[in-house]
Amino acid sequence: MMKKKTKKKATAIPFKGFLQVFFLMTSLAGFSQEILEPSSRPVTGYYNLGIGRTSVKATYLSPLTYTGPEISLTGSWSKAMPFNPENAVMEFDANASFCNLLNPAQTARMVGLYAGFSWDMAWRKRLPFDFQITAGGGADIKGGAYYLLRNSNNPVQALANISLTVVGSASKHFILGKLPVLITDRVKIPSLGVFFCPQYGETYYEIYLGNHKGLAHTGWWGNNFCIDNLLSVTLDFGRTALSLGYRFEAYTQWANNLNTKIFTNSFVIGVVPGGIGLKKPIRKTQEQVIYSLY
Amino acid sequence: MLKKFYIILLSVLSLFFSGCHEDPEYKNTLMGNYDALADIIDTHYCFFADKDINWKEKVEKYRQEITEETSVLDLFFICSQLLDELKDGHVNLSSRFSTSYYRNWWSDYPQDFNQRTLEEYYLDFNWLSTNGIMYKQLPGEIAYMYYPSFSYTISDSSLDYILAIMANSRGLIIDIRDNGGGELTNINTLVGRFIEEKIIGGYIMHKTGPAHDDFSEPYPMEYKPAAEGRVKWNGDVVVLTNRSCFSAANNFVAVMKSLPKVRIVGAKTGGGGGLPFTSEIPVGWSVRFSACPILDSEGHIIENGIDPSPGCEVHSTEEELAKGKDAILDFAIDLLKDNPLPFPEDRPEDE
Repeated sequence: MMKKKTKKKATAIPFKGFLQVFFLMTSLAGFSQEILEPSSRPVTGYYNLGIGRTSVKATYLSPLTYTGPEISLTGSWSKAMPFNPENAVMEFDANASFCNLLNPAQTARMVGLYAGFSWDMAWRKRLPFDFQITAGGGADIKGGAYYLLRNSNNPVQALANISLTVVGSASKHFILGKLPVLITDRVKIPSLGVFFCPQYGETYYEIYLGNHKGLAHTGWWGNNFCIDNLLSVTLDFGRTALSLGYRFEAYTQWANNLNTKIFTNSFVIGVVPGGIGLKKPIRKTQEQVIYSLY
Repeated sequence: MLKKFYIILLSVLSLFFSGCHEDPEYKNTLMGNYDALADIIDTHYCFFADKDINWKEKVEKYRQEITEETSVLDLFFICSQLLDELKDGHVNLSSRFSTSYYRNWWSDYPQDFNQRTLEEYYLDFNWLSTNGIMYKQLPGEIAYMYYPSFSYTISDSSLDYILAIMANSRGLIIDIRDNGGGELTNINTLVGRFIEEKIIGGYIMHKTGPAHDDFSEPYPMEYKPAAEGRVKWNGDVVVLTNRSCFSAANNFVAVMKSLPKVRIVGAKTGGGGGLPFTSEIPVGWSVRFSACPILDSEGHIIENGIDPSPGCEVHSTEEELAKGKDAILDFAIDLLKDNPLPFPEDRPEDE
């Protein structure tokens, strides 16, 4: 009898253990944030359309400054970090822009196409009166070209840049009527990096032949100062948010006796699917939700 | 403490703004445009030393002609005269009403070519043509091809046909008279058919700064044999030239002249041995100029033209050409006519 009982128990324990492991795995996969973490950390995605005006002076192409409209698309995804959700925030940006420019006499056209990706992590500090500041760093990669249609053997100023960046922001949220509003100024400044610049009078034909000497340069604020500043107001409607803003971007490059200056001022309009969390939804659970933006 | 803070702040700010290098700004005025043009050429043109040109002196000379009464049209002509001092066919000033062009590099010399004479008396108005190349096997089994411009892109497969159709010939004449240049990449396509291994056919340099002697080290321009399976030409080659062979055509002659089985017959080429850049002045006119010197395989600049091979300088007078005699082509045929045929068994019976 004892033997039989022992045998039955021996078969029951693994089954029970299997069930325990199964439920644990299931709960880890489906409800990881609720079980393993005291809070949830939603990804906040901004999708912006920028329309503005840009000016380009690239002395490899021309000593004159070209100006004209620019259109850009930007996606930004940010999230509080698991190891310190209250104070650490990560962001990934992707952007692409196109510009169509004319020289001052409007006798020549230049077109530009540019794309970039950046990743950064910032530490944030919540201040009294709903103020918040962040500061951090990351990496940035940009590439593009400005094509001056009527030039012969120097038709393109290619730009390529990889750099470490310094990022920072200041924000405040408040209620306007019944509408939660977040006002933010975010600055990104590349610091150390590497960038491409053709030699003073070198043709791309010579580069094509294989002469790559002196094309890559160590970039720092002394020869490659850039800044990307976005001042935005985000109106949180709950299920979605609307963002309006002004962006100023500057890209300067000085190498091989060649000067490149690109300045863009643009109006930015964007949406944030899911909102930014200022207008808190009614939740069934009592979990703490930590957003990346405030 | 506060003083230290200001010093650090100023240092950081100076770092910010040191990336912004200031360039001269030119106004859209008579003098502003003239100065812009003078500076662009001064800082980018590549043959001042080789041509012994005192640019500042030339600039001052023509500056005196600009007065308050000078019209925009007059300014264009003054600027054109200034550019003509460079004696360079690659230099143009282009506006919406005209393009300046220094013509004396060819107009001061005999033409040595008449296409009508070629077509009527040598090709009998009957030739094959592809990729802009006219070709025909001339009497006496001489392969002949006329390539009028390097702007016509030569495809490898078309070149295979041309060389295969005329393969059983005593030699090949490549006529590039009046060829004003075009794409450098066509040189690689052509040269690859006449070499068995990689060669350095010349060198290219570029300016590294605004001073007249700021140049990079010469960079070798390599030419590779055509890919395996392509039709090659192992026999003698004669390249026909005149003064109107310019730019890429001039470069082609420089490369071909370095090959052992090639002779250059005709007149000295017109030069144009600098790859041109383009820039512009505030009024919106574009300016093109030589920016990157090209050297031959021995390191000499080719801006002033390539001489024919020793003993091969030939000229065709207008009178002879009018009567149907092309002395340069005749000379080339004579050079090749006694060569053996590569495939004598394939020679037609009636010949």
